[in-house]
Amino acid sequence: MNVLVVAGWTVLEARRRKLVLAGVVLSAAFVALFALGFTLFYNLEERSLLDAQAQVTDPTSMGGMAGAREQLVVLSSVLVVLGLYGVQFLAALLGLFLGVASVSPEVDSGALHAVLARPLSRLDYLLGRFLALAGMLAAYVVVMSGSLLLTARIVAGYEAGDVTRAVGLMILQVLVVLAVSLLGSTVLPTLANGVVMLALFGLAWLGGVIEFIGTVPPGNDLMVNLGTAVSLLLPADAVWRGASYHVMPPSLLVASSLVNQGGPGLPFASTTPMAPTMLAWALAYPAACIGLAVASFRRRDL
Amino acid sequence: MSRTASAERAEPTAGTGQPVPAVVASALHKAFGRRVALHDLTLQVGAGEVFGFLGPNGAGKTTAMKILLGLVRPTGGHALVFGRPPTEPAARRRVGYLPEHFRFQEWATGEELLGFHGRLSGLGAAERAGRIPEVLERVGLAGRGGERVRRYSKGMTQRLGLALALLHRPDLVLLDEPTSALDPVGRRDVRELVRELAAGGVTVFLNSHLLTEVEAVCDRVAIVNQGRVIASGPLGDLAGAVTQLRLLLDRVDRDLLALVGRYGDVVRVEGTAVTLAVDALDVAPDLATVLVGSGYRLYGLVPVQRSLEDVFVDLVGEVRER
Repeated sequence: MNVLVVAGWTVLEARRRKLVLAGVVLSAAFVALFALGFTLFYNLEERSLLDAQAQVTDPTSMGGMAGAREQLVVLSSVLVVLGLYGVQFLAALLGLFLGVASVSPEVDSGALHAVLARPLSRLDYLLGRFLALAGMLAAYVVVMSGSLLLTARIVAGYEAGDVTRAVGLMILQVLVVLAVSLLGSTVLPTLANGVVMLALFGLAWLGGVIEFIGTVPPGNDLMVNLGTAVSLLLPADAVWRGASYHVMPPSLLVASSLVNQGGPGLPFASTTPMAPTMLAWALAYPAACIGLAVASFRRRDL
Repeated sequence: MSRTASAERAEPTAGTGQPVPAVVASALHKAFGRRVALHDLTLQVGAGEVFGFLGPNGAGKTTAMKILLGLVRPTGGHALVFGRPPTEPAARRRVGYLPEHFRFQEWATGEELLGFHGRLSGLGAAERAGRIPEVLERVGLAGRGGERVRRYSKGMTQRLGLALALLHRPDLVLLDEPTSALDPVGRRDVRELVRELAAGGVTVFLNSHLLTEVEAVCDRVAIVNQGRVIASGPLGDLAGAVTQLRLLLDRVDRDLLALVGRYGDVVRVEGTAVTLAVDALDVAPDLATVLVGSGYRLYGLVPVQRSLEDVFVDLVGEVRER
């Protein structure tokens, strides 16, 4: 019950601090920009490809037609993955900031003293904070990625491989970032936590890049292992890569693995599904962070 | 609601038949790193008492209060509030608290803040709707509840803090320097409020370094310095242990000092004024008769009680000298 009271209070805080308003306005701008760019670019490419094909002398050859269609699918996939990459990046940063600002500013200002003097356990307080922020971030991810995917579908007839899994993993990625920054917020002062979390977030991104580079000439196990190790520290980028796999249409994944001989495709996306062990780790990660946060916050003197 | 509350208040401990003390602190010790805030704090506050916890800044008063609210964990000893450890959330259900720095979420309005705290304390919607305007009115914020806390003055914020402390009709109210931001009128309001609470059977635990504040409302005080209680007891015992008489005369000479010396000890002589420590005020009429009979002109003869401030300065000073 108290968890819900704290969660409701947290949502009210987000509204009062104009966070929701800013989020809605900026997201609308982002989606509009994506829709505009996607439509213009796609239509332009479509026309030039079809024109080029019309100039092919043998009209009975279907090879050129299939080639053009496939190229358009590749193009829209790249655009959608790029757009969603932007969404997950924004959402993760948002989760990071909200997590960093979740507990320590109220501890520093002393606003928490009166609250925790109520019959409210610290577990309920932290859970309420986390649930409210997680809910708002999940809604943000659903609306943003939904808008992008819908745009691509209307304009280009784009069909993602598995929308539910893609969006689900994107939400998981944000929860991973939120949980770790909330944990930091119970042990570190706000500014220090912000610095640490940004560094961690950057490191996780770098880990993904290292892992990708390791696969460019396949067999560079050291690089791959290094990247995986960093991903264990903060499995945010790894989860995004898992999500990106489900964004791409299955036909493209088959084609790209054939065309590129199992090559990696895009540097910020993955053409292979997420390893089950990494997925299990990413699922356990937010719970572990919240558990640690509760354990440390219980003992903290205010 | 208030009936159940008062019924709970009188509720005796299971088995013993003794009423549960509102606050028990036994051998509380708290160290923050190498700095020791509380050495060995032991005290008890009975239900319905108005208890003054006095001490200079940094004496450990706030730390002690925070331990009683479960906000700080002691490194030694233990605390009980109505017989339960304050780290249990349920033990805090009957407790109201005004923090020293009275900082609240500034983005909220006063009413929203009261609503949030009311929910956390288990007040239903109907109860909140009735009680919130009532407490705002009581602390002098009627009509201001719809404004953001950010817009409140310091004094208003402290009044809001008092409203939060009283919101759920607690049986124990912990007030940490409750008048620090208030003007003289506000201070008087708080004194009245404390008296009202006491009349309603509510236990009040008051942290203060303002002696007049404590003197005016408390039944019993403990003076704390450097994390230890250096004196405690009913206010009268501490402040009135020695009674003094102040005499205003036309002249002071050796004969006079010898004369008044028979009735008590001369504490000091300032011009033609003599302060005399006596065992009881009964000596005053005789002393007047003797002085007038001996040819002195007596302009005034006033009993002077030692103020708590004198006791406080003496005790704290003694400790510092050691």
